[in-house]
Amino acid sequence: MRKRHPNKYTNMKGMRRMKKLCVALLLLSVMTGSAIAAYPEKNPQGYIMWGAGGAMDNVARAITPIAQQHLGKTIILQNKTGATGAIATTFVANQPADGYSLLFGAENPNLYKVAGLSQIDYDQLDPVLLMMANVGVVVVAKDSPYKTYKDFIDAAMSGKTISVGSTGPGGLAFVATTMIEKIHGMKFNKIQFDGEGPCITALMGGHIDAVAVGLLAAANFIKSGSVRGLAMISTERIPGMDVPAVTEAYKEYGPYLPWGAFFGVFVRKETPKEAFDALQAAYLKAYEDPKFDEFAKSMGGVKLGLTGDKARAYIKQNQSVSAWLLYDAGGAKFSPADFGIPRPQSK
Amino acid sequence: MAQNLQYFLIPFLQPEMMLLIWIGVFAGIWVGAIPGLSVTMAASLLISFTFSWDINSALALICGVFVGGVYGGAITAILINIPGAPAAIATAMDGYPLAQMGEAGKAIGLCTTVSVFASFVGIVVLAVAAPVIANFSLKFAPRDFFLLAVMGLLLIGSIGGGDPIKGITAGAVGVLLSMVGMDPSTGELRYTFGNLYLMAGISFVTAMIGLFGVSEALTQFRSSGMKSPKQNLDRIIPSWATFLKYLPLSLRSALLGVFIGALPGTGGDVAALLAYDQAKRSTKHPSRPFGKGALEGIIAPETANKGAIGGAFIPMLTLGIPGDAVTAIIIGALFIHGLKPGPMLMIETPHLFWMIVSCLSIASVALMVLGLISVKPFAKIIEIPKEIVMPVVIILSVIGTYAIQNSVVDIFYMIGFGIIGYFLRLYGYATGPMVLGLILGPMLDANYRRTMQGAENQILPFLQGFVTSPISLFLTLSIVFLLFSQTATYRRWRGLE
Repeated sequence: MRKRHPNKYTNMKGMRRMKKLCVALLLLSVMTGSAIAAYPEKNPQGYIMWGAGGAMDNVARAITPIAQQHLGKTIILQNKTGATGAIATTFVANQPADGYSLLFGAENPNLYKVAGLSQIDYDQLDPVLLMMANVGVVVVAKDSPYKTYKDFIDAAMSGKTISVGSTGPGGLAFVATTMIEKIHGMKFNKIQFDGEGPCITALMGGHIDAVAVGLLAAANFIKSGSVRGLAMISTERIPGMDVPAVTEAYKEYGPYLPWGAFFGVFVRKETPKEAFDALQAAYLKAYEDPKFDEFAKSMGGVKLGLTGDKARAYIKQNQSVSAWLLYDAGGAKFSPADFGIPRPQSK
Repeated sequence: MAQNLQYFLIPFLQPEMMLLIWIGVFAGIWVGAIPGLSVTMAASLLISFTFSWDINSALALICGVFVGGVYGGAITAILINIPGAPAAIATAMDGYPLAQMGEAGKAIGLCTTVSVFASFVGIVVLAVAAPVIANFSLKFAPRDFFLLAVMGLLLIGSIGGGDPIKGITAGAVGVLLSMVGMDPSTGELRYTFGNLYLMAGISFVTAMIGLFGVSEALTQFRSSGMKSPKQNLDRIIPSWATFLKYLPLSLRSALLGVFIGALPGTGGDVAALLAYDQAKRSTKHPSRPFGKGALEGIIAPETANKGAIGGAFIPMLTLGIPGDAVTAIIIGALFIHGLKPGPMLMIETPHLFWMIVSCLSIASVALMVLGLISVKPFAKIIEIPKEIVMPVVIILSVIGTYAIQNSVVDIFYMIGFGIIGYFLRLYGYATGPMVLGLILGPMLDANYRRTMQGAENQILPFLQGFVTSPISLFLTLSIVFLLFSQTATYRRWRGLE
């Protein structure tokens, strides 16, 4: 010990050099570290904008466990509900743009601006992947006198009061019903329920005459014959469903289609490309997994698999149709024109 | 039949499933006992957790947690006057006074026994009459849910403390607070002042944790230093005589629970509240006055919320319609596992029905054993000085509130409600009616407007509905009778006064 002490003092220069070297090494390692350290370093958080047990929740919880195997980290899912998803959307938009906060969102933010709910919507976020579309379907009770969509529309046109279920302005049921009203120039008596499931329950109990809901909520009820599907609000039939497309009876629906709800994964804009790509790759692999196929089929969802500009275009089309229908029906506070949302174009 | 028996035996033949059910019940009891940690939450966590498992094992665990969790809520209600879940609100009314008299062990023992009984009532009804009840429950129109909510509000008379004006005031404030947020019908914003967090509305669970949990803790600090009552733990399991004496009430409340549970959208919380009210009105000579430790006041809500478990599965398994929040999550789980919950479930996967019946039965047996074993350690909690228990309660309240929807704002709401609740109590207002208002407010609001919309906003067709539909007429007459039964004329006639 004693022998070394003098050594230490005489080697001050060497020590200093060592220090410098250390600092340099440290700096180097930090710099390369930040460049090399691959996303994801920690577990990303996934925020689901709708409650447990709903369609959005099911889709998120079905695809994420597969995606995280490809990502190599656990994506921690939680439901952050409220204000038709505006709470979760705002929350994710205010998190750092580092790819560690994912939003599992449906079509709802498309109407936040015209409804005066929030200024934060999908303009602040980028779609990683749009997984599934939820196409609208008009259903009636199994013992209903309306056997075809035409029967139903004729009855409504004849001035008969027809009560239809709705899930609140901006919901799929409301927008679809408004679309029907606008095209045929008549009015339904809308009755509000807490969701698409309760609408179907009310239909089966005979408390309403018809309802337009997402196929995801109705598929199993149609297949089992508990309710009767009259028309898909789409330009083509959905494989596996014995329900005609609405355009088969009425061509007038064309300009509004394709229209439907969707379910996607989003992150903040300005997320580093590397993180964004890693996430997208993981979700795309999960999307192609046969397990997810099986899930989509059993739920009655139409697989979308849209990314990038195509996803953006799909979202915009939905926004244009929904926002203008809502506005024309008097259900919106602000005009879509104020936010540069174009009217749906006839093709 | 032999086939069904075979399905029923699935969990018995798989030791792993058996074990999972027991673990589920045990975990459920604790989850249920902690205010804020709810069965709904546990179930939705388990869905992700059990994703890679076999569906049978996942269901076994969830069934266990469901049964254990509904029971757990009563433990904290009885011991420290803080219901662990909304379904146990009524249990605290008489459970806590009993614990104050040193009879916590007796109260929990009785609660466990009747709970297991009621759970089996629910299972038996599920097994034999599911399709019939499911189809009947569909007939309940929005008007009938409105009437049920009105019936629930009458409960303010039972839990509102001595002063009716104060009870009604607290209840009205609760209903008013439940209106905050987005109008469910038009999307109009009510009382939100442009604040996004008010737009989300005030969750009644948040309010419940504040009003019952934190305000109770604050109130008990005032009496800190006082010696906790010594608990008498000699006779925990009620005698056969006691059990038989309360059998009619248990059966009646359990059946009420099964039915309320089977109604889509109403669960154990509404069932327990209605059963408590029903017991209070129909029992001529309770063991002690209601609100002061009546055994009937524990039996009625606890049998109703256990019966509601089997009930909630009825529409879920037969129609694919959730009976309550937990079964809604189970439906999601089935989807994720590639099954088709809905009317096809019974046809395509008939084994699931009998397997769930079997899992629930095993869970009920597990509840009997685990519940009775833990009576003694649980009852000891009450003897721990309040200076130690109450801060723990406050911490758990904060954690539980945050866990509901991972919102820090909810914690502020919760603390706010805690402080409001403390002052309410100080000035002789009961906090129960406020929570009741928050629970029933949305049901009242939404269903009244649905009924109105159905009648095309015409007053005459609206009123007609109450007498032309048989279910509505029955419910309307029940409410009229409930009101009339409180008048002096009636009470004199029945010799109650």
